[in-house]
Amino acid sequence: MAAANCWRCLGRPSTQRLLAPSSIPSFKNPTSVAAFTTSATFLAKDDNQERPIEAPGPGERKAFRKRIQLSNDNALKVSGLSELEAQQLVDPTAVGQMASLPTGLVDQLRTIEAFKPTQNWGLFRSPHMLVRKDTVDFLGDMTKRIANKETVRTVIEGERGVGKSMLGLQTMAAGFMNKMVVINIPEAQDLVEARTDYSYIPRTTPEQFSHPSYILKLLQALRSANEEVLSKEIIKLEHIHLPGNLSRNASLATLANVTKEPEFAWPVFNALWQELLQPGRPPIMFTLDGLSHIMRISDYRSPSFNLIHAHDFALTRLFVEALGGKTHFPNGAAIVGVMTKGNWLKDKSVEKALEQARAAQAELPIPERDAYYSKYDERVFEALKGVEVFDVKSISKLEARSLMEYWAASGVLRMRVDEKTVSERWTLAGNGVLGELERVSLYVSRL
Amino acid sequence: MSSLRTGVRCLRDIRQTATTATSNASLAYRPKQAFRATRSIATTAPRSAGETTTTQIIPSDVEPVGQDSSATVQIPYVRAVPISPSYFSRKPVFNDAFVVVQDLARKYARLPIIPKDKVTPTAWRTKEQYRLAIGEHAKGRDYATCMKLAKRLNQIHPDLMPEEVKAGLLPFKREVNYYLNRPKIQPIDQYGRSHGVGKRKSSTARAWVVEGAGEVLVNGKPLSEAFGRVHDRESAVWGMKLTERLDKYNVWAMVEGGGTTGQAEALALAIAKALCVHEPALRNPLRRAGCITRDPRKVERKKHGHVKARKMPTWVKR
Repeated sequence: MAAANCWRCLGRPSTQRLLAPSSIPSFKNPTSVAAFTTSATFLAKDDNQERPIEAPGPGERKAFRKRIQLSNDNALKVSGLSELEAQQLVDPTAVGQMASLPTGLVDQLRTIEAFKPTQNWGLFRSPHMLVRKDTVDFLGDMTKRIANKETVRTVIEGERGVGKSMLGLQTMAAGFMNKMVVINIPEAQDLVEARTDYSYIPRTTPEQFSHPSYILKLLQALRSANEEVLSKEIIKLEHIHLPGNLSRNASLATLANVTKEPEFAWPVFNALWQELLQPGRPPIMFTLDGLSHIMRISDYRSPSFNLIHAHDFALTRLFVEALGGKTHFPNGAAIVGVMTKGNWLKDKSVEKALEQARAAQAELPIPERDAYYSKYDERVFEALKGVEVFDVKSISKLEARSLMEYWAASGVLRMRVDEKTVSERWTLAGNGVLGELERVSLYVSRL
Repeated sequence: MSSLRTGVRCLRDIRQTATTATSNASLAYRPKQAFRATRSIATTAPRSAGETTTTQIIPSDVEPVGQDSSATVQIPYVRAVPISPSYFSRKPVFNDAFVVVQDLARKYARLPIIPKDKVTPTAWRTKEQYRLAIGEHAKGRDYATCMKLAKRLNQIHPDLMPEEVKAGLLPFKREVNYYLNRPKIQPIDQYGRSHGVGKRKSSTARAWVVEGAGEVLVNGKPLSEAFGRVHDRESAVWGMKLTERLDKYNVWAMVEGGGTTGQAEALALAIAKALCVHEPALRNPLRRAGCITRDPRKVERKKHGHVKARKMPTWVKR
């Protein structure tokens, strides 16, 4: 048994690790050769002579926390997996397969911030994803309906860690591969928590607000991710109120690129949106992660110092009207709101609206609102009117096995992957909750 | 007096002696009507020269005691003899019982015995339990000697076991022979479910185990929701994991009371017990895995004068 104290210096083992190795005598300092020493403080003085540790600059810590690492050279390369194709995402026979994301697609997804810092992409050599049964069910139905120029309005629901955001990412991947125009709001929380600047949009009643910097950033991401699609489309409407000179046959990519000024971000975004709603345009995919955050009163204040409802912001209003079915999409569209359970503000209105939507979907009697609760938000019910709710379920053992084999091949899961271990992890992960599976399998090595 | 002498000697030495052979006084100190009639005579004073007197008085052909019906006539002693041989020496209860056992052992020494492992397990009283039961301090060495004889008597073939041996051994046996307790056999119900209960700290868990594919629901929630800590999830299904039954059964459980650790470990016990109903052969592996024995540790109570169970208040000078 190891002694609790170090025999040489009477230091605790943890403190001793911080000291210089005492077995190597320092010749500069003959006193440090003494067998018994209380020189911890002495050595600490030596350390002080080195340059002091600099504190991280403003924003550095957050940038480190929020960084997205999509490759890791220390991870083993997994060979024998095919590249993801659009067909694979809707093919029932492909369920349980792992597929690598093509480089171009990774760039597009990264540009619109589809990858999240909570997902462990940094453990692997290159991004791969599992084609789940839920993926095939959801995307198969969606692709078919968009081909018929229908509008799919869906809320993705599910337990915590079950893979809602991941399904959102797969949806966006399918959108890019099917040449749709993909717009993504990666974190709805950013729009309501008074983190970014906002401004009043003139001549709007009731008054509306925009997030100039945020929308500019969104616009640029949108343009660079969808450049291939947008550059083929020529503008059809007059945009005389926009800055700069747009020629008659300018492409939509040019339109999106027309301003670098935050104050014109919203007008340009709106103009682009109007252009995309014209008949003959490619279908739109508008996704938003953290739907419940925009279903409340935001932390922003109006000039009269009243709190602004989240739906009074131009960007969220655009999404909410599309989700609630107020916007007409002649070319087909997929409006997908992803719920979040990790940081979730429980809201009775959202819960009830989704409950009603679920009942309507299953053609069951619609549950009534609670008659004794007076704080229902009517606008939430408007926004979620007629949406479909897609519940992401836990994965089967077959899917779990293919995922674990991929982890093992990448060298992050150091155990034998057989029926026994898969079954054990599957049970420990709450009957196949994907995030929990990751936690019980990988987090040992993440330390 | 002969009975007293015999009795006292028996405590130390069980060799056959001429006195005991002739007097046949094995049960002479037992309560008898004959002596009872004379009990009103005071016998408190010690008799220094008693022995010589009695030896002269007692005829060599004394009648066996059991046969006398008109004992009053045949009293061979000048003074009344105490009923118990322990009268002048020590507290009587153990000594009397010991003398009975010794006499029985001598009397039935020739009866056939069966090997120790064939004897029906008997719950003997331990020394402490016996002392507590009779309320006197039986000497350890004597009790051990007595128990050796008692166990030898207990080995007599059950078909030939005399009633008096049974009666004589009774004081040394516990009231309930827990070796004969048999656990209630838990049935598997019509739906194939077995039920087990487990406890740990203040938690109680009930688990129903049915053949399946490894789904676990605790209070209606999957394992990951019921227990946030992975360690707790593992301890909840520890028995199934070690016996490699995790993918062969489904578990539906209710847990209440206590904290997460207690609940998880209570669940481990409950699941293991329910599993044993399906496969009794798993009991030993499960026991080795620590899923059968209830951990008896509980929160220690607070004592007066202490801040907590053991902590003492800080010393203050004034």
